[in-house]
Amino acid sequence: MMRSSALSLALGYVALGITALVLFAAPLWYAWQVTIQDGRVEILQVDAQRLAEVFHRDGADGVRSFIDARVRMQIAGERILLLTDASLRPLSGNLPAWPSALPTTPGDYKIKIQLGERGMQTALMHVATLGSYNLLVGRDNSLFAPLQTRFWYGLTAALAVLSIAALLIGLITRRALMSRIHSIRQTVSAIIHGDLKHRLPTHLNDDELNTLSRTINGMLDQIEQLVHGVRNVSNSIAHDLRTPLAELRSRLEELALIRPPPEATYAEIDGAVADVDRVIRIFDALLRLAEIDAGLRRSGFVPLDAADLAANAVEFYAPAAELKNINLTFRSEGPLSVAGDPVLLAQALTNLIDNALKYAPQNGMIEVAVRKRADGAAEISVTDNGPGIADSEKCKVMGRFYRGDSSRGTPGVGLGLSLAQAVAKLHGSTIELSDHSPGLRVIFAIAVDSVVGADSMPRVVPSQQSAASAATLAAPLPFS
Amino acid sequence: MKILLVEDNERVSQFVVKGLQEAGHTMDHADNGRDGMFLAASEPYDVIIMDRMLPGEIDGLAIIEVLRKAGKRTPILILSALSEVDERIRGLRSGGDDYLTKPFAFGELLARLDALHRRAQGVNHEIPLTVGDLHMDPLTRKVTRGDRPILLQPREFKLLEYLMRHAGQVVTRTMLLENVWDYHFDPQTNVVDVHISKLRQKIDAEFERPLLRTVRNAGYTVTAAD
Repeated sequence: MMRSSALSLALGYVALGITALVLFAAPLWYAWQVTIQDGRVEILQVDAQRLAEVFHRDGADGVRSFIDARVRMQIAGERILLLTDASLRPLSGNLPAWPSALPTTPGDYKIKIQLGERGMQTALMHVATLGSYNLLVGRDNSLFAPLQTRFWYGLTAALAVLSIAALLIGLITRRALMSRIHSIRQTVSAIIHGDLKHRLPTHLNDDELNTLSRTINGMLDQIEQLVHGVRNVSNSIAHDLRTPLAELRSRLEELALIRPPPEATYAEIDGAVADVDRVIRIFDALLRLAEIDAGLRRSGFVPLDAADLAANAVEFYAPAAELKNINLTFRSEGPLSVAGDPVLLAQALTNLIDNALKYAPQNGMIEVAVRKRADGAAEISVTDNGPGIADSEKCKVMGRFYRGDSSRGTPGVGLGLSLAQAVAKLHGSTIELSDHSPGLRVIFAIAVDSVVGADSMPRVVPSQQSAASAATLAAPLPFS
Repeated sequence: MKILLVEDNERVSQFVVKGLQEAGHTMDHADNGRDGMFLAASEPYDVIIMDRMLPGEIDGLAIIEVLRKAGKRTPILILSALSEVDERIRGLRSGGDDYLTKPFAFGELLARLDALHRRAQGVNHEIPLTVGDLHMDPLTRKVTRGDRPILLQPREFKLLEYLMRHAGQVVTRTMLLENVWDYHFDPQTNVVDVHISKLRQKIDAEFERPLLRTVRNAGYTVTAAD
């Protein structure tokens, strides 16, 4: 049988119960025995005393008649009385003869004697010498035997009931526990085999197992969500990579089959290289996202001016906005120091402006604003007057590769917002999307704890840190 | 230029060696770390292209470190499949001068090698630059074409300065992003092209002979040659 904690617990309780019972009964037994003993001796002494008084008053004959009267009156032979002469010949009493094992010197004795057919097993004797006569007073102990027996029976019965009850409770608990554990095990093995929809059974009450089950269910929810996310992402990756790869494949296969003249072949090869570049771009964007998600880049945090960063990004996009006749404006309240990764922040911000440029209409407007919020966080917002995003889609656009239906056919790999989101997360914040009817306002906050001066910022040895940042800035990061 | 390529992948090596030879360079090739180290230490090269992960017990970064400790100042371009930012930083810290990730466009490699070579010859930031009839004085920040002054925004000035410092060479979009805007990432759409066309408006539009030219599948170049 499997070792069960419930059963060991039940057995432990049985042992504990027995110990408690024994600890309770033993002193009781001892006290009882001592009290009875003392009481008996006292009674016998009183008896002997009284007989001695009779002897002194009335002589031997008085004692004989006293004893006879007593023996006659006595129905049950609880009391033992015997008077003998000097040669131990019985004169009066309820014993046929002086017990052979009993000495005649006065004292307390505890001996066994046989009295008629009643078979008196134990008797307590007190012997006194009255002149030349010998007197024996005693008491039949067998009267107490049933009481003792009952005590032992009672104790045994109590032990038995205790053991059985504890065992039963143990077994029932074990059964209940085992059935719950069994169902948990079944669920878990179903999950191990890949079906993440299963959840551990929970009840209304709040016992430990239930609390544990709830916690595990919460964990499973999280895991399912992550797995689902990963599955979605890999599906999107598969889709977005498959498209250029399929184009590339058919291009090359067509070349092999048709063998067009050299000029056309070269054009096709250029197209093929462009396809490969597209795949590489998606791949690079994904790697970068993974890198940011892993939080590896916090080492690249340096103090920087958020307003300057945003101003540069706006300046970078100014000619592109001009081309579309979009009024791209920048507003700030002066320098605003934050701690962050300049490369990633710039990339996130350019992605946001790039998006706004894609969606703002011809002759539209885009405003980039930097301000310090009341809670100390730096807030960079990019507002456009494009079509905006419906509330139902706001959540989805943050997902990897998601592109609104209206954006199919515009360039980009659909990772812009999720990259900005990942960068925001790295900086202890999130991206907020709000309506700017008409249009969209994307708010990118750099949390308080990454504002310069906060102690929660991971610190490298200063010289090393500045070396790292210098290297980050000096490192050419080709992506094409 | 005399160039050493240390690269173990046969296909990549063949492609690079052939391409660079066609571009008029003299090529040496080592396909493992030990030979690469030996050649780099004993021969005078203008530029070294170094793969990071190499067979032969010595990896690319170790070779670079040894060369730098031995006092060799030859410009080194690291060519690697390790693309993470931290890896780039490690590569540059070990003594590399530029870092290009695989897969790469050949035009990008060629342009970066030229830039490295030119940088190694020393840049004087005070000497006026001249390409054809286009003049730029970095000190006074005056730009003229012929006898006509050209007014440029600060960023346009920086863009043109970079192009003119690499006159006659191809400069890729990535190089411009890194050196003019300090953007070490790919900003999805080709905003650089828009900046170039704006600059072209200012320096070329009213002149017969265009100086700022687009090199297909590679980038841009400023040249007075035909």
